[in-house]
Amino acid sequence: MSAHPAAVDAPGKVVLLMGNEAIARGAVEAGVAVAAAYPGTPSSEIGDTLSRIAEDMGIHFEWSANEKVAFEVAFGASMCNQRGLVAMKHVGLNVALEMLNVVSLRGVKGGLVVVSTDDPSQHSSRTEQDNRWLARLNCVPVLEPSSPQEAKDYTRYAFDLSERAGLPVMIRTVTRLSHMRSGVALGPLEGRRREAAFDWEGFSYRVSGFERLFRRHGERHEKLDRVRGEFEALGFNELKAEGGGRLGIIGVGFAFNYAVDAIGRLGVEDKVSHLKLATPHPLPEGLLARLLRGVEGVLVVEEVDPFVELHVKALAKDVSPGLRVYGRMSGHLPREGELSPVIVGGALAALLGAEAPCRPREELEAEVRELLFDRMLTLCAGCPHRATVYALKRAVMRVKGDLRGVVVNGDIGCYGLAHAPPLSFEDTYFCMGASIGVSQGMAHVGVDTVALIGDGTFFHAGIPALINAVHNGAGVKVVVADNRTIAMTGFQPHPESGRTATGKPAKPIWIEDLARASGVEHVEVVDPYDLEAAEGAFARMLEADGVAMVISRRACATEAVRAMRPERPVPYRVDPGSCIGCRLCLSAFGCPALVWMDEAGRPRIDAALCMGCGVCGQVCPQGAIAAVEAP
Amino acid sequence: MEVFRVVIAGVGGQGTLLASRLLAEAAIRAGLPVRIGETYGMAQRGGPVMSHVQIGGGASSPRICPGEADVLLGFEEGEAVRRGVSYLRSGGLALVNSRRLPPVEVISGMAEYPDRERLMALLSRVTDNIFSFDATALAEEAGDPIATNTVMVGALCASGRLPFPEEVMVEALREAISPAYHEINLRAFQRGREAFIRARSG
Repeated sequence: MSAHPAAVDAPGKVVLLMGNEAIARGAVEAGVAVAAAYPGTPSSEIGDTLSRIAEDMGIHFEWSANEKVAFEVAFGASMCNQRGLVAMKHVGLNVALEMLNVVSLRGVKGGLVVVSTDDPSQHSSRTEQDNRWLARLNCVPVLEPSSPQEAKDYTRYAFDLSERAGLPVMIRTVTRLSHMRSGVALGPLEGRRREAAFDWEGFSYRVSGFERLFRRHGERHEKLDRVRGEFEALGFNELKAEGGGRLGIIGVGFAFNYAVDAIGRLGVEDKVSHLKLATPHPLPEGLLARLLRGVEGVLVVEEVDPFVELHVKALAKDVSPGLRVYGRMSGHLPREGELSPVIVGGALAALLGAEAPCRPREELEAEVRELLFDRMLTLCAGCPHRATVYALKRAVMRVKGDLRGVVVNGDIGCYGLAHAPPLSFEDTYFCMGASIGVSQGMAHVGVDTVALIGDGTFFHAGIPALINAVHNGAGVKVVVADNRTIAMTGFQPHPESGRTATGKPAKPIWIEDLARASGVEHVEVVDPYDLEAAEGAFARMLEADGVAMVISRRACATEAVRAMRPERPVPYRVDPGSCIGCRLCLSAFGCPALVWMDEAGRPRIDAALCMGCGVCGQVCPQGAIAAVEAP
Repeated sequence: MEVFRVVIAGVGGQGTLLASRLLAEAAIRAGLPVRIGETYGMAQRGGPVMSHVQIGGGASSPRICPGEADVLLGFEEGEAVRRGVSYLRSGGLALVNSRRLPPVEVISGMAEYPDRERLMALLSRVTDNIFSFDATALAEEAGDPIATNTVMVGALCASGRLPFPEEVMVEALREAISPAYHEINLRAFQRGREAFIRARSG
C-alpha cells in the first residue's frame, strides 16, 4: 500500500482528502508533537488518520479515555513548548470544557489547537450545540474553514496563531465539511525542530509565583484584542464590495458555500456585496464595518446559531444604525437546523424579489414517503448487543413478570438502538455515562432500573458513577454491553481492547477488575451468544442486593468478520421441514440476515450477511435453524 | 466547463463511498476540480447513505440542488427511487441496481417492500432514461458481491457521460484499490460496462 495521502511529503501535490483528513494533515504540516482525541461522529476521521500515520511521522497520537483527558494530554505537551492538537465532536467539548476554561486563562506555550466538529441538524448527535459560544465564553479565537483545502490551511495557521497569541485556538467544522472530500494542495512538512522543555516562567508556581499566574482575565482580554487586530488583515476573510449597496451577504465558514452558490444561481454577482468570514470570533469589526456601512441590509448565513448575526446587530448599532440584519433571528432563515442550497437560495431570492433558484419536488417526495419505508437504523447482523438485550428482556420478564418492571437507562453507543423495534427495550439515554448516574436517583426513590452501558462509554464516564453508587448505597443493576471496541465510530480501541491507537499491544484493563476494586460484590461475565447463560446471569443480577453488574462480552460482529478475512463465517440456514413460520426470529429478534419469503411462508438466511453467531437458532422455538455445516 | 453532477444512493456497507472516491480520484487525475458531499450518519447500522459528486468548476457547495443531478447511481432499488425523485434532473440518466435490501421495518413485519412497478413508476416521472439491472449478480459473477460498486462505475463509464476518458477511470481504480482485489474489480468494471452497452445497443 502507498503512504496515506495525509503523510505524503510532496508539496504542491493535489490529493483527495476529506475535511477531517485535511485537519490531520494541517496538524502534521505544522509539526504537531502530541495529538489526542476521543472518537465521535463527525470528528472520528481526524484521529483515525493520525492513528495511521503518527508513528511514521514521529507524532504521539492517542485515543484518550475521554475528551477532558485528551485536552490535558495535548496541553501537557504545549507547556513543554511542543505543539498539541485535541479533536472531538461538539458535545465532547462539554466534557473538556473545564480544561478549555482554565487553559485559555493561563495561556499556552506550544501551539494548542482544539478541533470541534459541530453537527447541525443532529445527524449523529443528541444536540446541535454551536461551540462558537463556548469559544466566546472562554476568549478562544475561532477559525471556520469552508473546504478541505481551508481545513488544512487554517489548521496549519492555527498553531502559529496560538503561539503568537498565547491562547488555544479552535477550528470549528460542521458535519458537511468534516465529511466533504475534495482536492487539497499539500504544503511542506515542517517537522519538529524544537527542544521540549517545560516553560518554568510561564507555568510554574514555584518560579513565577501564584498571584502572577492565577488572575489573568485582563491579560486574556488583551490577548484577544491582539488576535482581533490580526484577523482584520487576515487573507482568509474576503470582502467583495463591488456588488453595491442594496444587500450584503456574510457567509460564515462552510455556510459561505451556500451563499456564493445562491448568488451564482440567481446571477446577482453585480447586485450584492459579500464577505466570506473565516473568523467568527473575535470578529474583525473594522472589516465588517466596511461592509455594513455600504449596504442597506445584510443577510448573515451561518451554521447553527445566529452567533455572527447577533454580533453584527450589536456592531451595526454603532457603525450603521439603520442597517437591516437578516438571518436566523429575523426569520429569513430557520431558527434552528442545518442550512441547505434550497434554504439559502430561497432566502436570498426572497430578499431580492426573485424566484427561488432550486425548488424541491415536494409532491413527488411526499408520494415516495407514502410508499417507501424510512429504513430505520438497526444493529448489524450477528451483533452481540441484540443477543444481550434479547436475553435481558427475558430475564426481566422472568424476575419482574412485566417488561415495565424496570426502567432501562441506556447510554451512548450502538446499543442505544435497543430502543428501536423489534427489541424496543430501552427507555432513556442522555450523554456519556449517564445511565449509571440517573439510575441512582431512581433507585433512591424506589424505582427499579437497569443501566445499559457500553465498554467504551464505561471507561469514558461510567467509572465515577459506579463508584458513586457503591459509596452512596444505590443498588443499581448495571449491564455492560462489552464488544471490546468503540464500534459506532469506527472500531477505535479503548483501555480494554489490548492495543493502542497506533496498534501497539497494551495490557487490557478489565471492567470486572475495576468493578470489584470499586466494591461491587456481584459481578458476572457472560457470553451473550449463549442466550440461556446470559438470561440466567441477568436474572441473578436483578435479584441481587446492592450494586450488581453483568458484563456481556463478545467481540463486535462486524469486526469479527473483518478479522476473519478472507475466510467467511459458516452461515446458518432455516430447515424448511421444521420451520412452522411463526416469525418469532423476525418479529422478536430481527437480525438483518433473516429474510422473510412470502411465497414459502418462512424465512431464509442471507448467507452473505449471516456471520454464524447462531443466536437465532436459540431463539427459534422449533429448533429449525442450524449451521450449514457442523463447525 | 459545465459542472457534472452525480448522486449516489445506497445502504451503509454497500461500498458507495468507494464509488464516489473512484470518480473523484479520476477527476483529480484528469486535472478537474471535484467535490464530494457525503450523507451517512451512523450508516454502519444499515441506514441510507448518499454521496453527491460534482466535477468541474462553478460550484462551491458539496451539496447538489434538487433536480440538478445529471446521473443517479442507485445501489439499492428503494434508495435509488428515494434520492432519484429528489435530485435527478428531468431526463437525467438513472442507473439502478435492481437488488433490494429490506430494512428492519420489513424484516420485522412492520412494513412491506413496495412493488417494483409502483416504485419505478415514481422514478419514471422524473426521467424515462432508466437502466435497471442486477449489478450485484454481475459482481458475484466477477467474484465478490462487494464489487457491486465497480460494476456501477463501469456502467456509468460506458454511458459516456463522464467528463474524462475511460482509461483515467481504470487508472484511478488501480490506484485506489489494493492489488489483491484488482482482478475482481477490473472484471466487475467490465461486466458493468458491457451490461450497459448491451442494453443500449439491443
